[in-house]
Amino acid sequence: MRPLTETETQTLFSKLANYTGPSLTHLIAPPAAAGSTTPAERHVFRIQNSRVYYVRESLANLATSVARPNLLSLGTCIGKFTKTGKFRLHITALDVIAPHARYKVWVKANGEMPFLYGGNVVKAHVGRWSEDCPEHQGVVVLSMNDTPLGFGVTARSTAEARRLDPTAVTVFRQADVGEYLREEDTLFTT
Amino acid sequence: MAPRGGGSSRGGSSRGGSSRGGKSGSSRGGSSGSSRGGSSGSSRGGSSGSSSSRVSKSKKPGKPSTATPFKTKRPTLVQKKKKRVYTEEELGIPKLNMITPAGVVQPKGQKKGKVFVDDQESMMTILAMVNAEKEGQIESKMMKARQMEAIREARHNEAEARQAERKNKLEDVKDSLRKKNKKKLNAEISTIAKEESAKPAKPKKRVSFG
Repeated sequence: MRPLTETETQTLFSKLANYTGPSLTHLIAPPAAAGSTTPAERHVFRIQNSRVYYVRESLANLATSVARPNLLSLGTCIGKFTKTGKFRLHITALDVIAPHARYKVWVKANGEMPFLYGGNVVKAHVGRWSEDCPEHQGVVVLSMNDTPLGFGVTARSTAEARRLDPTAVTVFRQADVGEYLREEDTLFTT
Repeated sequence: MAPRGGGSSRGGSSRGGSSRGGKSGSSRGGSSGSSRGGSSGSSRGGSSGSSSSRVSKSKKPGKPSTATPFKTKRPTLVQKKKKRVYTEEELGIPKLNMITPAGVVQPKGQKKGKVFVDDQESMMTILAMVNAEKEGQIESKMMKARQMEAIREARHNEAEARQAERKNKLEDVKDSLRKKNKKKLNAEISTIAKEESAKPAKPKKRVSFG
């Protein structure tokens, strides 16, 4: 387990910034909790076996006493670096991304199951969406009662999507919470 | 130029050594052999007494004695010369022809390994850079989308206007046709009426039963 290098940090942040707005800074420097003057405990990014974890700093410091081959995982897994140096977000990063999402798509109740089974979001299933969203932009998919279900990439801008027919794809799925069951065997293996 | 000279000098030395070595048997060896032989021969010559025999005697045992030290000495000299190592600059090899390509060579005295970014400030600067970049990308995308939207709208309006114009034209043609038809009809009706009025009225056939 080690901290990230500069290039790795840049790659990771540019990926996260696809889905989040400027409030991403709260990940690095969490603001003080309501009612307390002291800032919340700092969280850091650590890499272990090409996987990146978002860990509380005190925990990361404790983890230095565990040998690298013996350490499986720690904190919240954000994703992994591929062999070509790109970064791939995992569904486990949803809890980190969702509160800071820039663009959101709310899916109707009849569209939840198709999405959770790994399908893309079609126009007929969209309940509402953030205005002024460009195409090929990362979005967080939520149910109508604001439960994050996953994230994806928009197929069309909001203006264009209005003219689409109901069966046309509006959001390409990247990850959904159904993966916790579907990818149960491989999600946490190294 | 320098390396070639060096190479040639090296080669020259080795060759020279071999040639000298070859010659040593004949000329130098002979002279030195004679001198040494002379010294040794003097001691031995004391026993034999003749100069010719001295020479001949000195030559025979001298030859191997003189050849061996030269052979052993020369290679050491050659080896010493060979030890000179040329730096890469001295050799003047084209830079792309080296073991490590020109761009890959790391400057000396630099720490090996990765440089980690763990402090909050540097992470914040990286994040600010990334955010600014993303913001620019999104902005440009939005701009492009808006422009495309405006173009599409203009095209749509143009097409609508063209269609309306076409429809009007069609209506005009239809109206003109209707008018023409009406005129024709009126004319026909009037001609028929005239013809009918011109014709003498035929007495109606009447059939009565009764």
